[in-house]
Amino acid sequence: MHPVLARKGETVLLMGNEAVARGALESGICLAAAYPGTPSTEIVETLSEVAKDLKIWVEWSVNEKVAFETAYAAAISGVKSLTAMKHVGLNVAADILMSSAYAGVKAGFVIVSADDPGHHSSQNEQDNRWYGFISHIPVVEPSSPREAYYFTKESFKLSEKYGHPVILRTTTRLSHTRQPVTLEEDLPASPVCKGVFEKAIDRWVLVPGHAKKLKIKLLEIWKKIQYDTSEPFAKIINPGMKDVIIASGIAYSHVEEALRIAGLESKVTILKVNMPVPVPRKPVEEVLRNAERVLIVEELDPVVEKQVKSISKELGLACEIYGKEYIPENDELSLQVVYNGICRFSGKCDPVMWESIGELKLEPQIPPRPPVLCPGCPHRSSYYIVKTALNKAGIRKVIFTGDIGCYTLGFQKPFETQMTSFEMGGAIGIAHGLSKVVDEAIVAVVGDSTFYHAGIPGVINLVFNKGRAIPMILDNSVTAMTGHQPHPGTGVTAVGEPTVRILPENILRAIGFETFVINPLKVKDSISVLAKALEEFKDGKNIAIISRARCALEVLRDARKTKTVLPVYKVDPEKCTGCLACVNLSACPALVLEPDSRKPVIIEELCAGCGLCASICPFNAISVANTPTQDWEKLW
Amino acid sequence: MKSRFNLILVGVGGQGLITLGRLIGEACIRAGLNVTVAEVHGMSQRGGSVVVHVRIGEGDSPVIPLGGAHHIIAMEVLEAGRSARYANRDTVMVVNDLLLPPPLAKHPGKKEVIDALKSKLERVYIYDAEGVSKKIMGTPISSNIALLGFSLGVNPALESLISRVAVEKALEAIFKEKALDLNKKVFEEAFREGRSNIGG
Repeated sequence: MHPVLARKGETVLLMGNEAVARGALESGICLAAAYPGTPSTEIVETLSEVAKDLKIWVEWSVNEKVAFETAYAAAISGVKSLTAMKHVGLNVAADILMSSAYAGVKAGFVIVSADDPGHHSSQNEQDNRWYGFISHIPVVEPSSPREAYYFTKESFKLSEKYGHPVILRTTTRLSHTRQPVTLEEDLPASPVCKGVFEKAIDRWVLVPGHAKKLKIKLLEIWKKIQYDTSEPFAKIINPGMKDVIIASGIAYSHVEEALRIAGLESKVTILKVNMPVPVPRKPVEEVLRNAERVLIVEELDPVVEKQVKSISKELGLACEIYGKEYIPENDELSLQVVYNGICRFSGKCDPVMWESIGELKLEPQIPPRPPVLCPGCPHRSSYYIVKTALNKAGIRKVIFTGDIGCYTLGFQKPFETQMTSFEMGGAIGIAHGLSKVVDEAIVAVVGDSTFYHAGIPGVINLVFNKGRAIPMILDNSVTAMTGHQPHPGTGVTAVGEPTVRILPENILRAIGFETFVINPLKVKDSISVLAKALEEFKDGKNIAIISRARCALEVLRDARKTKTVLPVYKVDPEKCTGCLACVNLSACPALVLEPDSRKPVIIEELCAGCGLCASICPFNAISVANTPTQDWEKLW
Repeated sequence: MKSRFNLILVGVGGQGLITLGRLIGEACIRAGLNVTVAEVHGMSQRGGSVVVHVRIGEGDSPVIPLGGAHHIIAMEVLEAGRSARYANRDTVMVVNDLLLPPPLAKHPGKKEVIDALKSKLERVYIYDAEGVSKKIMGTPISSNIALLGFSLGVNPALESLISRVAVEKALEAIFKEKALDLNKKVFEEAFREGRSNIGG
């Protein structure tokens, strides 16, 4: 049984994201919609795994805006719902986010924003607590996976109390940490799944006249939340001390342990803030009135700090308030960083917790393991094919615009087929703009999931506004980077039910692109198809490329399941001249040079049998070493 | 307790570190202990460095400070070397006897890394976890379980927290039937080999 289905009283090991899913289920949601994005993905993935058993609707929407709208529609019809996204995903949904605060909800509605301090897998580390201010939606922030469970439920209660959306903000370290969680309630036997849409034109139609009135109501709710909220959204621990630490979210967990290690836990008053926006007014006033010195510990921006300083000023208090003087404003916080900050603030502890033996001094040094395209990854072949074809067509100067996905790793040598990467779908708009101002040929590389997410308006604009760029869709028929979630080109829904498969070539052809579909496993054929296609491009036509093969990780998994033997390649040392073209042009991790050897070997356990290296080798020195199952190609 | 018990698991993506972290987490629940298991990995699905921070005892802060590890399990030698920054002089380190160099990179040999670790740490144990897994399972798939068994064997402080019984109960929650029996065997044999290393 899935751990999120365990019974009341049981203690289960849950990842922060699973804890959010369980909290939402206990709260009685009947609809969840999301677009996958690290570190948020496992919330709706978990829900998708239990959706059929629980008879609730769970979907992977095409993007965060659509996901938000889907979940919001349920909530304005009286059905509790959740949407979840990574921090930058909320930018995509920001339009509806603002409006949802004006119109409010009729049932609990929680928006999970999974932020990524330290940008472990993101283009930036924006602090989405600010969205609380611009939208007037309260932001709840748990400090541990266990609290993620608890505060998901509290967020739904808060949302129901005020008929207002609530943002639950988590961060990577919490999203991806597992902890024992003791379940407080059973799942509701029959959550409300049937909604009623009540026609209320003056509420759901945000024309200026209606919005003006709704704004007044919105500000009343905002003020109430600020002034009437205390526990559990803020908690004073060890009251009465002159030194006060105010900590929000996961920063609290670092503060708690740092004070324990420094032996200061009885000498400091802590205000644990679980709703950083707006900070509950009363408990802040209470701790400030007694305080002489205050330190605010929070990850990233001074969101709580600015509010506390402003309250202190309003009240005319004399206490000294510090924050970013002691706690860094960039990167993720940790016990070590917070401990150092508290030691400097208090001047009362030894800054060394443990003496590290330090890095080992070795010659050569231990090499880094940067993320690379997996062995057999079809993107590797696609990149080799397009570069070779461009070369054959005599197109020497090329700009490759890029996007967000595994294929972003093509920024590295030897490919360098990602020269920009800003946001989802950005490859195409950037390519269009560049084509208006530069002379080089432009290839806009975008993944399939990203194409559906935000690429389609870009390709329409490209044709409409007479841009000169070649969209190239790397289509592995799944959202691979976040763990293989289905999308409109997969043919199944989030819960595994068959559905219509929408192919990108049909969309591109309808828009007016002459569209060429290649199989990156067939390297030589694909090069000649593209060489021809590029001639058409030179003649002034709009062309688009789709390179389609499944993700190698999925193929390997299916091969194990179906006991299919995939080809494994080997290098014939007799024929190999040691030119290293295979190594230098493919950068495949399965191809290695043993120390003191000039000729590469293929690591059998890593080879996925894509055959790119064999296609590259000018001396036919690489060939299949085993007897693959007939029809193995069908798995790709 | 002033400090939690800090356990670092390192290796290369695909070696079963996440499963090992979960197993230890499940064992802690069965031993009645609070625990946080934090997975730290970058964008790579496979082949990148993976570090799992396991912290046993009361508290919620998930990441272990440099020098703060009481015990390190390394599933690969270069990653063992890289994890030195988490070690202090008293750290116990168990290293899988396996070198997986990243492609085309110059790298130190197994012996150089182990010698460097031994020059700074009193207790470094090299263990052929693949050997015991291959002997019992027929494949290296249970190397992670073997390294945990061996670790409990050489580090009684770890065993006093999560007992063998708790680990076996956790195995029962994760594996079934034949796989369960074989994994229990791998665990027990590795434990015995570990214990014999410290004269037990």
